Amino acid sequence: MSSKINHHRINGQIPQPCPHLAEYRTRNGSKPFRALQECLRVKPLGRAAIRRDPSEVPRCGACGEAARSRLYACVTCAAVSCHSSDSPSPSHAAAHAVSMPPGHEIAVDVDRAELFCCACRDQVYDRDFDAAVVVAQTTASTLGGGSIRSSPPPENLRKRRRVDYRPWTPDLRERVLMTRNSSPLQRTEGADGANLSNLPWGLRGLNNLGNTCFMNSVLQALLHTPPLRNYFLSDRHNRYYCQQKNNASNASKRNAASNDSNSNKNLRLCLACDMDAMFSAVFSGDRTPYSPAKFLYSWWQHAANLASYEQQDAHEFFISMLDGIHEKMGKDKRKTQSQGNGECCIAHRVFSGILRSDVMCMACGFTSTTYDPCVDISLDLEPNQGVSTKMGSTKSHHSCNGEADSMNSSQNCGTSTLMGCLDRFTRPERLGSDQKFFCQQCQVRQESLKQMSIRKLPLVSCFHIKRFEHSSIRNMSRKVDRYLQFPFSLDMAPYLSSSILRSRFGNRIFSFDGDEPDASNELSSEFELFAVVTHTGKLDAGHYVTYLRLSNQWYKCDDAWITQVNENIVRAAQGYMMFYVQKMLYYKASEKPTPS
Amino acid sequence: MRPSVNRPPTPDARLDREKEPSVLEIINIKLIESGEKERLMELLRERLIECGWKDEMKALCRAFVKKKGRNNVTVDDLVHVIMPKGRASIPDSVKAELLQRIRTFLVSAAV
Ligand SMILES: [Zn+2]
Ligand SMILES: [Zn+2]
Ligand SMILES: [Zn+2]
Ligand SMILES: [Zn+2]
Ligand SMILES: [Zn+2]
Ligand SMILES: [Zn+2]
Repeated sequence: MSSKINHHRINGQIPQPCPHLAEYRTRNGSKPFRALQECLRVKPLGRAAIRRDPSEVPRCGACGEAARSRLYACVTCAAVSCHSSDSPSPSHAAAHAVSMPPGHEIAVDVDRAELFCCACRDQVYDRDFDAAVVVAQTTASTLGGGSIRSSPPPENLRKRRRVDYRPWTPDLRERVLMTRNSSPLQRTEGADGANLSNLPWGLRGLNNLGNTCFMNSVLQALLHTPPLRNYFLSDRHNRYYCQQKNNASNASKRNAASNDSNSNKNLRLCLACDMDAMFSAVFSGDRTPYSPAKFLYSWWQHAANLASYEQQDAHEFFISMLDGIHEKMGKDKRKTQSQGNGECCIAHRVFSGILRSDVMCMACGFTSTTYDPCVDISLDLEPNQGVSTKMGSTKSHHSCNGEADSMNSSQNCGTSTLMGCLDRFTRPERLGSDQKFFCQQCQVRQESLKQMSIRKLPLVSCFHIKRFEHSSIRNMSRKVDRYLQFPFSLDMAPYLSSSILRSRFGNRIFSFDGDEPDASNELSSEFELFAVVTHTGKLDAGHYVTYLRLSNQWYKCDDAWITQVNENIVRAAQGYMMFYVQKMLYYKASEKPTPS
Repeated sequence: MRPSVNRPPTPDARLDREKEPSVLEIINIKLIESGEKERLMELLRERLIECGWKDEMKALCRAFVKKKGRNNVTVDDLVHVIMPKGRASIPDSVKAELLQRIRTFLVSAAV
């Protein structure tokens, strides 16, 4: 039974070479596949193949077969032989391995550039060979010519990842706390009268406090971010309790150092407490617009450098307020774990994912990998259309809620899409010769390729579209008004680290395979759109508005004004920040709340 | 001058038989040289994923590996086991689409 222990990490297991491959390697020195490397060709659609010269039509040396069977080239003598798994007699490839002296067992599939052992009748894997193929493919796809990348195919049985999210039930102490500090909810009519009471629970306008639509727009999205809302509405961060605790710790601090009165104020400052107050107010049933003045004041205190009455950037506000929540609560819990692992403050538990960046040496294929936590993904708008080199599968693999699907694929050419941005984001890019990286294997600076992918998905994905371009040279900013199409349902699987490389390069092992996360880390990669922050107008005189999807109906939140809108209005809007929640959480969230 | 695509060639029985390898071979070479074979393969991959064929085969493979134990299965074993089911379960619509593409190619390439 103990021998089974290794099998728990199947996905992390690196295939061992068969004895024939191991022997071939020892016989052929440090670069066993050098000759083969020269025959590597990248086909027009980006797949690798083995051809001695580009126009060669390989055929079996024994029977002349060229089309029906798999064709293998012996890595020792380059003889091409056919092989099929279902013939009762040994195939020509197997016969070749037997008839020659030892050393002719390993062959390469001429159309897939994958290694095969004809004696073991099994696929074999070699790190150096696979690295060479990957380098050839990425080089071909980034250096003009056939710079085509078909989008990776969807895989329904793909590996799924879990972000740690545990439902919460109050314990005895918490229940006492809740009842003591609770008051019954009442529903009062808003200014517009009766029809407002049909609005979903918690939908309440936010007053503009003087150019604060940048804040209101983001707050509306956060107030209806399902896991965040659940957290605050289930009283996980009780402002009375938090302040009490702070006062106590302040008192002890005061005794220690009574000279610093400023630190007291900072300690009492807690953005999460202000969020808690806002959630209470917004979900109280009162429909009259709410003024988040207290919150704004706290945020000013927190982000002193951003405070002013001028129009701010909604994205900067989003980042700085997540920072603010983290700073306070991270300190409280004394969590030392990195923010991406799902154990941090509520802001990071909800929004934090992990990005992975691979830098690959173009000389030897050595890959250096780094992981970075992120609370959102900033995407460049695709460059002007018309120069698009994308071919291959132009069909979108993402559905936009059924009926919109056909419209979606027919418009695909010429319109920027969120998926297009994500494709670009995860596409390998060649780093300029001015930023060569030091390859540990070559021990010199080398040209390299960089590729981003998503190692861990957050519960809620925020995509920020870089519409504001800033040139530090001219100290000028400008806004890009181009339309971007975004889907209501988004499958993030193609952008996961695990899919990205494998779907492009076939069955290979990579130098990072050993540290792939284990298979227990799985959950849905399917996301649903629930909030869009839009920006209209010019850079400095613009206006932010948020569209929210609640109970499958869209609402426009324009500061104090809430209106129900048709989904086509949302689709046509100029998205600046898009908020997607993991589908399973969304479905739970969109169930009609039962007030009683 | 582009040949008319509206008039498909009469179905060539020889295509489906092994009796005339030379024609098959010529077609194969034409398909490869023009890059059409690569595009057809890509189309086929996409269609087989869309219709669930790939998932079905994957499930078959998983079941077989589970039965045999993961260290006792070779790629050849897998191919041998799923080949009959795999061949039989390719939807007719996919076959028809590919056939139509090949016909169109043959007309335009004037083989
Ligand atoms: Zn072997
Ligand atoms: Zn043969
Ligand atoms: Zn040989
Ligand atoms: Zn607090
Ligand atoms: Zn945190
Ligand atoms: Zn190197």
